[in-house]
Amino acid sequence: MKTRWSAYAWYWQRISGILLVVFTIGHYLTVHWTEAAGHSFAASVERLSNPLFQFWYLGFVLLGFYHGVQGLYNILRDYKLPRALLGGIMVGVIAAALYFTYLGFDTVLSVHQWKHTP
Amino acid sequence: MAYEQARSPIRTWWQTLRRYRWHAGSVAWVLHRVTGLALLGYLFVHIWALRSLVKGHQAFQAEMELFTTPVFKVAEWLLFAVVLFHALNGIRIVVVDFSQQGAWRQRALLRWVYVVGVLAVLGMGVLIFFDPFAV
Repeated sequence: MKTRWSAYAWYWQRISGILLVVFTIGHYLTVHWTEAAGHSFAASVERLSNPLFQFWYLGFVLLGFYHGVQGLYNILRDYKLPRALLGGIMVGVIAAALYFTYLGFDTVLSVHQWKHTP
Repeated sequence: MAYEQARSPIRTWWQTLRRYRWHAGSVAWVLHRVTGLALLGYLFVHIWALRSLVKGHQAFQAEMELFTTPVFKVAEWLLFAVVLFHALNGIRIVVVDFSQQGAWRQRALLRWVYVVGVLAVLGMGVLIFFDPFAV
């Protein structure tokens, strides 16, 4: 059962990686093509009022943390850490990742409010 | 005794590092991990920084003025290099793992990673420091 689990982790690390490359290319092309595109408040509000972009960024945040936390685990597992230390680090990182996923989701889903309030 | 529990993680890390065989492929392997850790850290920073979007126009504008200073521009350029290496080498890993011929071509693929990477980083340098597509 353990072997199966790592095989799935290995597989999904690659799939999420490919998706993140696609996400990142889209992110650079839309937000960082020019300096103004990413650094203008109006442009950011306009973008994040679009449901497609909202969906895009929820996926980006979620996949980013999944891939990153799984990657960190893959690295740490190679270093024969004491079980309690490895477990402690992972619990801390997963808790932080969940909180920042919430922060990111909240940002993505609440920016549209500025469209109607000056 | 097939397996001995390590006493000091730091010493184990150091010994492991010394035992690495520093070939092109293993350098890429280490770089992939280092850039991966950096990107996970950056994801936290990025989400934290963009909370200014929730605080409103002035908070966001103040932050963006900071982010467009030369120091931050250089940092963003470096960040792009980190993102790009991880992405290109990640594609290489997927090709090596999922294709029939991949494992035999991993060195050639690695050359492509560096060639495409350097060209794209130079291109991004033009975008960041000269902003040619600004309207």
